[in-house]
Amino acid sequence: MNASLELLLATPFIGGLLAFIGGKIHRWIRNLIAIVFSFATAFEIIGYYNVSTKGIVWGKLFGSDLILQTNPITWLFLFIVTSASFLIVLFSIDDMRKEEDELKLDAYYMYLLFVEGAMVGIVLAGDLITFFMFWEIMSWTSYFLIIHGGKRSMAAGYKYIIMSVIGAYAMFLAMAMLYAKAHSLVYADVANVLLHSSPTFVIWTVVLLAIGFFVKAAVMPLHTWLPDAHSEAPSPVSPLLSGVLIKMGAYGLFIVLYGLVSVKLASSLMPSVFSTPILLYIIQWLAALSIVLATFLAIMQEDAKRLLAYSSISQIGYVVLGIATGTSLGVAGGLFHALNHAIFKGLLFLVVGAVIYRTGTRNLSELGGLIRKMPFSFVALLLGIIALAGVPPLNGFVSKWMIYEALLQKKEVFLLIMAFVGSTGAFLYVYRLVHSIFLGQLPKKYENVKDVPILMQIAIWVLALLTIVLGVMPGLAMNVIVKGMVFFGFKPIAYNLFGFPQGTAMGALVTVNIVSILAIAFVAMWILFLLFPKSRKVSQYDNYASGQIVTEDLKYNYSYGFYMSFGRVIKPIFKWSIEKVYNYWVEAVKVFGDYYMRRIYTGNLETYNAYIVIIVTLAAAFVLLGGKVW
Amino acid sequence: MVDKIFFAIIAPIFAFLVGLSFMMIKLKVSARIERRYGPPIIQPIYNILKLLLKEGNITHGVMYSLGPVIALAGSILTVLFIPVAGVKLFTGSGDLIALMYMMVIGSLGMALGAGESANPNASIGISRALTLMFGYDLPFVIIIISVVLYYHTTNLADIVAAQAHGHWALWSLPLSAIVGFVVSYGALGEHPFDIVTAPHEVATGPMVEYGGKHLGFLVINHAFHIYIEIALFVDLFLGGATNILWFYVKMFVVFFIMMMFDEVYPRFKIDDAVRFFWKWPTVVALISLIIVLVK
Repeated sequence: MNASLELLLATPFIGGLLAFIGGKIHRWIRNLIAIVFSFATAFEIIGYYNVSTKGIVWGKLFGSDLILQTNPITWLFLFIVTSASFLIVLFSIDDMRKEEDELKLDAYYMYLLFVEGAMVGIVLAGDLITFFMFWEIMSWTSYFLIIHGGKRSMAAGYKYIIMSVIGAYAMFLAMAMLYAKAHSLVYADVANVLLHSSPTFVIWTVVLLAIGFFVKAAVMPLHTWLPDAHSEAPSPVSPLLSGVLIKMGAYGLFIVLYGLVSVKLASSLMPSVFSTPILLYIIQWLAALSIVLATFLAIMQEDAKRLLAYSSISQIGYVVLGIATGTSLGVAGGLFHALNHAIFKGLLFLVVGAVIYRTGTRNLSELGGLIRKMPFSFVALLLGIIALAGVPPLNGFVSKWMIYEALLQKKEVFLLIMAFVGSTGAFLYVYRLVHSIFLGQLPKKYENVKDVPILMQIAIWVLALLTIVLGVMPGLAMNVIVKGMVFFGFKPIAYNLFGFPQGTAMGALVTVNIVSILAIAFVAMWILFLLFPKSRKVSQYDNYASGQIVTEDLKYNYSYGFYMSFGRVIKPIFKWSIEKVYNYWVEAVKVFGDYYMRRIYTGNLETYNAYIVIIVTLAAAFVLLGGKVW
Repeated sequence: MVDKIFFAIIAPIFAFLVGLSFMMIKLKVSARIERRYGPPIIQPIYNILKLLLKEGNITHGVMYSLGPVIALAGSILTVLFIPVAGVKLFTGSGDLIALMYMMVIGSLGMALGAGESANPNASIGISRALTLMFGYDLPFVIIIISVVLYYHTTNLADIVAAQAHGHWALWSLPLSAIVGFVVSYGALGEHPFDIVTAPHEVATGPMVEYGGKHLGFLVINHAFHIYIEIALFVDLFLGGATNILWFYVKMFVVFFIMMMFDEVYPRFKIDDAVRFFWKWPTVVALISLIIVLVK
């Protein structure tokens, strides 16, 4: 039996409230409720696998129906949201235990489930009002989650919510414009109205909506909140933000571009570049710039979570780039990358969270050598970085491959070069991550570090295994994506369980062959390796140091400023930053407020009295002289 | 199926022998250029056997040991996706773009192994290696795109087939070919790009702690590395070959020219190497790409 959509939507909200109340009785009751309800939500979506339902009306507002609906694309995002939330709740149980204020913890679980519920609502929405309502709930509840991370997270959260509000205003304006024309905000009605509107109107609507989505998805130049918010948030919240929440922006973009406006309509309205409507082409360029610049920034970071945050901007660039190509292969690649990024970035943030849990620092130059103490976390992180770097045979490779091939087919060479550069740059920062945390010398203070508790391990390993499963069998994800794209009017692409036959792209891909050759070659070489004389294990201090003896008190490690020489090469690029422009703007507003507005709003009661007297006198004079006030 | 398995076993052995022969020839040629007599020509074989059979091995941990093994496995995987002398091998299962990322697996393994040796020289070496890779990758992807757009396919075997009867990409895309040569040369890490190993600065970089069978594996991997870089260049720009001998001759000519460069240059500073690759090779590659696009 299928759970109804209303129940699916209500489950996390009810769970959140119950968790809050349960926390008043005992903390384990609260934890249990959080686990059960987040699992129940993930379980309820099973029945909707590859099903498109007709919208059900759950309310009425301003004469417009409020609708819930599902289709395979919704299912894809529901899967991302619910399963990631469940794993994050599991991870939180141990990780958040260090928080002593139980009341704060009760609120934490409530907001966690509320964010999940809000995202389920966004995905299920069949009209813009429902979408916007849950969008705002998501913004505010996630703000409360971010500021759980301590003092510095307050400023980061403030920046996040301000930018979210600006994005929301833009979206609201677009909705008002559409409502004035259509008197209904159901997707189908809106699409119908847009079909018969002037090009200017369509472009304005899409641009305004896209501003809202780009703030959430952190596409440059609207990304500045992300590095602060994602790195200052509590460890379990960062994967939720980076893995899942920013995907809502990508989902919104997909709905607007292909649910409300279609490629056919867009190309009839505006000129095309490289057979892409110019609006989409501009979006592609923004995405490509995000990819390259965020990669450069990630390379130069010294903080593990900040590095991953910049990497998220870069990876979401691939998602947006893929979605904005407008071809079946590219859009499928973009959506697949959204799923993959949720998996591997969630994984990476959780492992870094695990390291922070054990060592208390996320400063890369203070860590090192943890491979001997946390081997399971090391292997999981290794899988995550291989997937992120887009190296076969893991999942990130397949989706990136699809995006590259789609760009090749369209001959969009400059965007393709930028996508490649971002991918090569990713090797630099992911190696930095694994090297500085797990390789190199182990500082003495971490001698007694252990691997993390079992619940955290489960959360990490479920994601780690998914990177392998989807890397070898991309067909599993393609089942959903291709079906969903047909629902949105795309031509289906040919695929099979292990890749893509010749003809879909410019070349073929059979992942299972790559994996099996690699595995066979590895085993053969490993056996060969074991045939030769055994080796003796030596300590990390038994090391080459030009004759010097390495002792425990000597830090013999290279991890600060890992890419300093590369930094010198890209220095000219960073003389100019969008953050500076925004800060300049903030300063200008401050000056305006302080200097000019203070002259009017003096804060002095007498001045205000004077204003009242002047206004009343003027009004009286106006009436006396024969003017009509009403 | 049987012939596939047969070739899958033969191809890596062939690749290793080719790489090894080049290592041997290089010792002799550079000795003659430096007016020395040089070691016996089979010295590299002695070296590898000596290293592999050494009793006094040390290891710094599991990843340290696995590093060379992964490196070799990655190299074998890559070799099986580069068509050689009319044999397509597995090119139907992964195209040029997949190949680009398979080539990284080997380097990744080596980087992880070197990282666990807990020596700053090794870490600096890896930092340099990755930076250098970022440098030459930009012109490399541009020429790959030009070749792919010129032949309308990403299947390497089809690209080779399209160059049959002397219609080499060297003649149709001369600028790309020049850049391709520079990039392959940079990827081999010879002078002036031997920044990674730089014995006088970082004590052979990633290899600093390696010895015994681990180092033996890395030397074998170096032979594969030479083969991969040059075979890819031959396939992309010199039209591959129809038989093994002809393929070997083409590879040898390319390698011989590279040796000459190796002998005369000093060493770049790391940031200068990146600047070099991002300047002229990139500009020339872009010009070539635009010519392909406009045509």
